[in-house]
Amino acid sequence: MSEDGPVVALEMKQVGKRFPGTIAVDSVDFEVYAGEVHALVGENGAGKSTLMKMLAGSFNDYTGEILINGEKVDLHTPSMAMKHGVGMIYQELSLADPISIGENIVAGHLPRRGVFVDRAALAAEAKRLMSIVGLDLDPDLPIEEISQHEAQLVEIAKVLGTNPSILVMDEPTSALSRDEVERLFAIIGNLRKRGLAIVYISHHLPEVFRIADRVTVMRDGKKVASRDIASLTREEIVQMMVGRSVKEFYSRAERTIGEVRYRVKDLSRWGFFHHVDLEARVGEILGICGLSGAGRSELARVLVGLDPADEGTMELDGTVLSGSGMAYYLAKGIAYLTEDRKSEGLALRLSMEDNILSSIVPRLRRGLRYDKRLGRTTVRDLVRALSIYPTDPAVTLANLSGGNQQKVLLAKWLAGGPRVLILDEPTRGVDIGAKVIIHEAVEKLAGAGNTVILISSDLPELVGLADRVLIMRQGRFVREMSYEQCTEESLLLAANGEESA
Amino acid sequence: MATAEMKPIDVPDARYLRSSRFSRIVNVAGIYGIAVLFIIAGAVLQGLGVINNFMTTRNFLNIIDAVALLGIVAAGMAFVTYSGHYADLSVPTTMALTGIVTVELLHYGFVPAVLAGLAVGLLIGAVNAVVVGRFRANPIIWTLAMSYVTMGVIRLVWVNRQIYPDVQTDNLRTIALFDGIFRLRLFNVVSLPVLLMILIMLAGHFLMTRTVYGAQLKLTGSARRTATFSGVNAERVVGIAFLLAAFTAAVGGLIITSLSRVGAWYNGTGYEFRAVTAVVIGGVTLAGGRGTIIGVIGGAFVIGLMNNIMTLIGIGTFSQDMIRGAIFILVVGINAKSLRSLGRDDA
Ligand SMILES: Nc1ncnc2c1ncn2[C@@H]1O[C@H](COP(=O)(O)OP(=O)(O)OP(=O)(O)O)[C@@H](O)[C@H]1O
Ligand SMILES: [Mg+2]
Repeated sequence: MSEDGPVVALEMKQVGKRFPGTIAVDSVDFEVYAGEVHALVGENGAGKSTLMKMLAGSFNDYTGEILINGEKVDLHTPSMAMKHGVGMIYQELSLADPISIGENIVAGHLPRRGVFVDRAALAAEAKRLMSIVGLDLDPDLPIEEISQHEAQLVEIAKVLGTNPSILVMDEPTSALSRDEVERLFAIIGNLRKRGLAIVYISHHLPEVFRIADRVTVMRDGKKVASRDIASLTREEIVQMMVGRSVKEFYSRAERTIGEVRYRVKDLSRWGFFHHVDLEARVGEILGICGLSGAGRSELARVLVGLDPADEGTMELDGTVLSGSGMAYYLAKGIAYLTEDRKSEGLALRLSMEDNILSSIVPRLRRGLRYDKRLGRTTVRDLVRALSIYPTDPAVTLANLSGGNQQKVLLAKWLAGGPRVLILDEPTRGVDIGAKVIIHEAVEKLAGAGNTVILISSDLPELVGLADRVLIMRQGRFVREMSYEQCTEESLLLAANGEESA
Repeated sequence: MATAEMKPIDVPDARYLRSSRFSRIVNVAGIYGIAVLFIIAGAVLQGLGVINNFMTTRNFLNIIDAVALLGIVAAGMAFVTYSGHYADLSVPTTMALTGIVTVELLHYGFVPAVLAGLAVGLLIGAVNAVVVGRFRANPIIWTLAMSYVTMGVIRLVWVNRQIYPDVQTDNLRTIALFDGIFRLRLFNVVSLPVLLMILIMLAGHFLMTRTVYGAQLKLTGSARRTATFSGVNAERVVGIAFLLAAFTAAVGGLIITSLSRVGAWYNGTGYEFRAVTAVVIGGVTLAGGRGTIIGVIGGAFVIGLMNNIMTLIGIGTFSQDMIRGAIFILVVGINAKSLRSLGRDDA
């Protein structure tokens, strides 16, 4: 910040937005300086995304005033927001699949020569923008050929192409591995130096402390406070978020671990993982730890019949699983919660009830008829057990906050009473309180004599929940650790291939 | 485990429930309301002397027969749209081929001929089901290609001939039965096509809303990948939708052939677009997973009335096509807009 005090890049005055039945944002004052990273935190449903969507021009009926660089602006459409220098990076990527990286990045302002697109200029511009985010990819590559992490950086490059003075990132790291997070932070640091005002939404407080200069806490649609990050502790922030003090500690629930439930021998899927052996027992939570790209999700897909194995056998309770297709595995009680809730986990346009019941449709049959009412108590109990908000089963899922969508995803798989549940990043994008609820539900499932396989990049989660952790590296299990051996450090070292003593 | 008290959760949200159910009823009622508006408009135009013969029993019977034919075809088409695959463009040639084959085979008797006609229609549907459902070909391009192939077969085998029942070899009673069956009227009012439409509408509605298949179709149409990740056999679900569209097109082909007493390549021309228009203005969105069969039949009513009034006014066929096209674009545009605002939601 310069000597004559910070330059206010964005000022929102008494802004509000209501949805039928909810006031999502209630008279909030919010200020961001040029050249700062401003974290926005709060519980699931606190109104963070809604506040930022207001800024991005998603609503034409917000109340209050928005000033950008001291000038009052109307942000009623996305293009108005873009014109005033607001760049928004949503958690789910908005890149168009089959077209090239270059076209995606420059989509909004294609360089022309006469009526034709100037391909050389397009490539040069795309390269320039990519270099800001440290990417060196061929602009002609189609988007579908790059990794999710690269796609996210491409998205940032695309937004930078519109010359924003304010950049908003809504949970940008929830799908990234540690290394990738580091790279993203380096880029954010760079952009801060260029004088951008950056708003950063995250549930991951250690990240917030690392990257943010100031923080604003929201609760129930209202602003609690905006402070310098240096003046706060983690506990103080959490207390502001939930309105009371929260003790956070893991205590391992006693579980009796029984027979082998799911046994996998010499399983391979060429190019993804090779000669994998695994035994998951009744009542056990078996953790799988690895960096992204280690083959964890691919293994999960084979374990539930979404992809065929090239070699090896799978046994459930001593019987070989001979069928194929996910429906067969599902009928045997083997379920998979995907890490990609938007495109693989949920149908955002359908109701919460339709989503929760979607994993057990064939069971809700009365004679010829499909009868949702048969699932009504299941839905009600799950909504209550997981504290999903709003509680109305008929609400369209897109209207739920991200964390509540994640809870619905878990509810969907709990609905069927799985005997083996494979969880792939089950607490992505949920707040501290919701994490506790999800963890309790998982422990309860295992405690009731079911098997849980937990794939997670959240090390405290693995350390706290798993009875045993398998370390996966480059498509192979390289080590096994009992929970006594597990610490965040030991897991991290093992996953990176640096053996600890 | 961490301990944290959660906020109370028993907040009643009945408002959501009511509004969604209410708006659904308004949507379905809305399209029938528009149909009623068209009737009133026709009556007013007649009162003003712009058109004649609108408010006559004869005219209403005509309208309702035309609506029945379109409604039947649109009911099957709706399953394809609802599955997220836009439209089956092979419908017109399916109608034509079904009719031609039936007429050609009438000398084997009425029932065998009709069954053979339906079977040929279903065969086209089965090819679409495999290619689009399983191999995931683009539905528009593929069914367009399919319609060209079918038309090619018709032209090759029957050249441009119109196929009449053969009075020399065919049993005259069979011919009379085929020509007359869809003209039968219960109580001198309800024709067989109208009865069939009502039957198909009820069966289709039941299938879409009250069966496991319907629930899986809704999930597949709204989010295909998610459906696959929920254990739904999306290939099969989509395939069945194409079979249903082919079946209703074949039934439509029988009706149109019987009513015109001739099997011909041009029977069914234009029905793909008319049917999709009925589907879309009836409330089934092109993005899939939304709408009802009852709404679609309402859409067929609106189109039937509109066609009738336009013809009575004396608007030419080309202008009529243009007007229908414009309405289609308008409705799709409005839908797309409301969907886009939904799709922008994120975490
Ligand atoms: N389109 C909508 N229609 C109705 N209610 C909505 C809509 N979008 C959000 N809400 C509600 O507004 C409130 C705030 O949601 P918002 O998405 O802003 O929360 P958030 O702070 O981003 O939470 P999370 O951390 O879980 O993503 C929630 O109660 C949510 O259910
Ligand atoms: Mg959010």
